[in-house]
Amino acid sequence: MLAVNLFNGLVYGALLIVMSSGLALIYGLRRVVNFAHGALYMLGAYIGYTVAMHSNFWVALCVAPLAMAVVGVLLDRYVFQPLQDHEPLNVMLVTFGLLLILEDLVAFIWGKANYSLFTPELLAFSVRFMRHDLPAYRIGVIVVGAAVALGLTLWLRFSKAGLFVRAASTDPVTTSMQGVNTDRLSAGVVGLGSALAGLAGVVAAPFLSLSPHMSSDVLIDSFVVVVIGGLGSLAGAFAAALLLGMMQSIGAVYLPEVSVLLPFIFMIAVLIWKPSGLAGSRT
Amino acid sequence: MMHLLRLLSWPLLALAAGAAIVLVTRSNSLLGMFTQAVIYAIFALGVGVLLRQNGLVSFGHALYFGAAGYGMGVVLTLGWLPAELAMPLVLAALGAAAFLIGLVIVRVPGIAFGMLTLAIGQMAYLLAARARGLTGGADGMSIPWPNTLFGVPQSVLLQPSVLFMVSWVVLVAVAVALACLLRTRFGAITEAIRDNEERARFIGIRTTVPRALVYALSAMVTGVAGLLSSLNTGFVSPENLHWSVSAITLLMVVVGGFRKPMGPIVGAVIYFLFKDLLGEYATHSMAIFGAALIAVIVFSPDGITGAAQRLFQRLFQRKKGEGRA
Repeated sequence: MLAVNLFNGLVYGALLIVMSSGLALIYGLRRVVNFAHGALYMLGAYIGYTVAMHSNFWVALCVAPLAMAVVGVLLDRYVFQPLQDHEPLNVMLVTFGLLLILEDLVAFIWGKANYSLFTPELLAFSVRFMRHDLPAYRIGVIVVGAAVALGLTLWLRFSKAGLFVRAASTDPVTTSMQGVNTDRLSAGVVGLGSALAGLAGVVAAPFLSLSPHMSSDVLIDSFVVVVIGGLGSLAGAFAAALLLGMMQSIGAVYLPEVSVLLPFIFMIAVLIWKPSGLAGSRT
Repeated sequence: MMHLLRLLSWPLLALAAGAAIVLVTRSNSLLGMFTQAVIYAIFALGVGVLLRQNGLVSFGHALYFGAAGYGMGVVLTLGWLPAELAMPLVLAALGAAAFLIGLVIVRVPGIAFGMLTLAIGQMAYLLAARARGLTGGADGMSIPWPNTLFGVPQSVLLQPSVLFMVSWVVLVAVAVALACLLRTRFGAITEAIRDNEERARFIGIRTTVPRALVYALSAMVTGVAGLLSSLNTGFVSPENLHWSVSAITLLMVVVGGFRKPMGPIVGAVIYFLFKDLLGEYATHSMAIFGAALIAVIVFSPDGITGAAQRLFQRLFQRKKGEGRA
């Protein structure tokens, strides 16, 4: 029982890693708390659903993140960049406005019914591990989460673009004075972050159902993750995402009444102890 | 004397305007919509006062809106107190709880504060949605209001025109009370802290308690709106606590303009007017609100009241109102 819950915690943690690393990247570069991230996740899931219905899941897994990357680049170019000098609160509310628009758009195109996507045939088996049957698809989700975490870490650590991103996250003005085109860099990073939201949406589609309200829960959980980890810190977000996934699923065994509250209680405790989050130096 | 007269003339004018609205409006459904707008205007005043005096954004004020309804529901169902006594007591309890929460959370700066309020609000939502028994879980609970309230029978009180007038009077009273309170030393202190906490501390002002007091004040104003709403609908459900309620109200505050005391009220009225107008033509009112919100923030960051003031100044070429622009 506990092993299965640990496993499911890991699955949800992996999904949160994919979601919240996008949020953290965007916050790092643009200092925007992006409510629209939830809408991009939802849009990714719906686009993935439609594509998967017409071809197959694997095409959807490529198309939806790409489509969201395009949306993300446009979002940066036409929303975040012109609003750079506005107050953070106002930009945050603009992204909330975008969330409202996109949620309505999804309800308009796909209707308000719930959908769910079939597990792709290739992964529709289960693996026997320590006397438990673990669905292969969920193992795949964990692999995706790990790959995203590893890939992003390596990219930021060892590539030139990664170096620029780290520099611009620390001090955008000095970085652009050194000759880095921070606007183009931001467009790329917001595009990447949005693609990750789309990826999370497609990956989640076979085991969480699709509805116009699906964005809210995951969005709030990812906010909690990003805030606990320290706004803008990727390593903090990875750790917090895994902690949160574990906490929820283990809490469901031992403290069923309050398991849904655990992430919030944990967040409140962390923020009171360290207002900038576990790994954050900024506020 | 002139000053006092001017101070008194606004509320009297406002009350007269309310009576005029009741007399002019024939349709009961329209009056019902106005009542809702007025209730949310009070709610928005609560969110606005926190933003204006503390510079803090709350994404969780629905907590106090819903908690007021749940408080009344529980007290009345258990028959602990008569409703007339229960109302001020529920408000006082909300204020005390908010003060304690405020003491802890106002230390957290900026965006993290908003996320904290969001977390606390969602906790309340999840608790209410899952708690079985008295509060009815996800189905919500109906509130057993007594047959007479302050000597007024329910059949009279729940008439749309009466309920509207009651809400309107409460709105005017809350607005006047806030305006008076913020003219005192307390208002000046909180503004000083908002503008520069460190400097305020250097000149010997303790900064946490006043900010927690503003938080409690804003929670109580929101609670008043919650009480009125629970009287209006006779019902409270977890939906009242959901974060989207907080966010929509914040939207009203920003669209109206939070720098002006009247801004939140204007925002709430505009929101409901638009919702009513659009409701007949489009089912996608939320997308239109989203677009309107973006337009207002981009073109007039101090909201509609700010834009109106600028327009007014340009039209009359007067150099008035340099106060707090």
